[in-house]
Amino acid sequence: METIAVYWESRIKTYGFQRIPEVALIELSWPIDAIKSLGEILTSHDIQGFQAPFIAGQDADRELSFVFCLPEKAGIAFHACLEQAGISTSHRYVYPVGIIFFHGPHFGDRYGIARAAFSAISKAGIQLIASGCASSSVYLILAQDDLDRAEQILTETFEVAK
Amino acid sequence: MDKVRLGGMKQSLELCQFDLRGPDSPERIVPRVCKLLASQKINIAFLTYNHLKTEFHQLTMCPSQSDFSRTSGILGATGALPRGWALQSREHVGILTVYPHHSPIKIIGCVMVSWAASSIPIYGIATSLSAISFITDYHALDKGIEVVQNFFQLPDDHAPIKPDLTYYQGDEVKRGKGN
Repeated sequence: METIAVYWESRIKTYGFQRIPEVALIELSWPIDAIKSLGEILTSHDIQGFQAPFIAGQDADRELSFVFCLPEKAGIAFHACLEQAGISTSHRYVYPVGIIFFHGPHFGDRYGIARAAFSAISKAGIQLIASGCASSSVYLILAQDDLDRAEQILTETFEVAK
Repeated sequence: MDKVRLGGMKQSLELCQFDLRGPDSPERIVPRVCKLLASQKINIAFLTYNHLKTEFHQLTMCPSQSDFSRTSGILGATGALPRGWALQSREHVGILTVYPHHSPIKIIGCVMVSWAASSIPIYGIATSLSAISFITDYHALDKGIEVVQNFFQLPDDHAPIKPDLTYYQGDEVKRGKGN
């Protein structure tokens, strides 16, 4: 069955913006051939229970290039696990960063959502550290100090449904 | 061993994947590419942007497989991408989205281990507040789902995993319709 939805909005509606400050960011590249070993680290008792506000991974030259955004303590523990893993990987720890995210109706099925978000952030001169858009959500990872301005710009760009 | 409980799971329609890699800062590439695709009404079902260890940046996007040729044409056109940016594409991929009750790190780890044991590739991952999305080959989705079902416990009243509705954004508004 096919459903055609028409959204006729002067400003794209969202369900509101949420922020997560004081997050540790770990950039990590892991060989695709050894991805099972990373899975075993992630399921280990030391870190499996940590909340992770955002994780993304991309296929890049036979490696998966990850961003893990974790609370500070979890970030330090995860960083230590990687150091102990004994696998030759590249990783970088950055603290603090901030996350701003939002979602809206059928965002994953509609064109123009990403354009609106990224154009607004770019025009404001805010540097994007990482991002992920999946399902109906848009996640922007920014420098901690840019969170206020990003929320202001996004609030002007999108309409928060009441 | 007790199965890990999941809130649900669903698969996407058939998608394709474009990886753009280059030296520039994202202020230029991400809005530029999104604008190009939106101007042709091409939806991006999945997008990640990240900084690579090589000091390059990578933008990964998944439009519908039916938009593969149009997207290739747009992104491959001379001058579409900033200097130094390279484009790679992969056809026939799909996304399995799982909805964890908690412990997303553990669930990502479980999927990595179980899929690796079944030689099911992972081409991308992104999490959101309630979901984790995994990109793999479209033809591998059924096997991937089967493997995940062996590892995880789904609710008894789980909705169909395959999409039973297809949504498109139209651009014609009939009189008296829409807002």
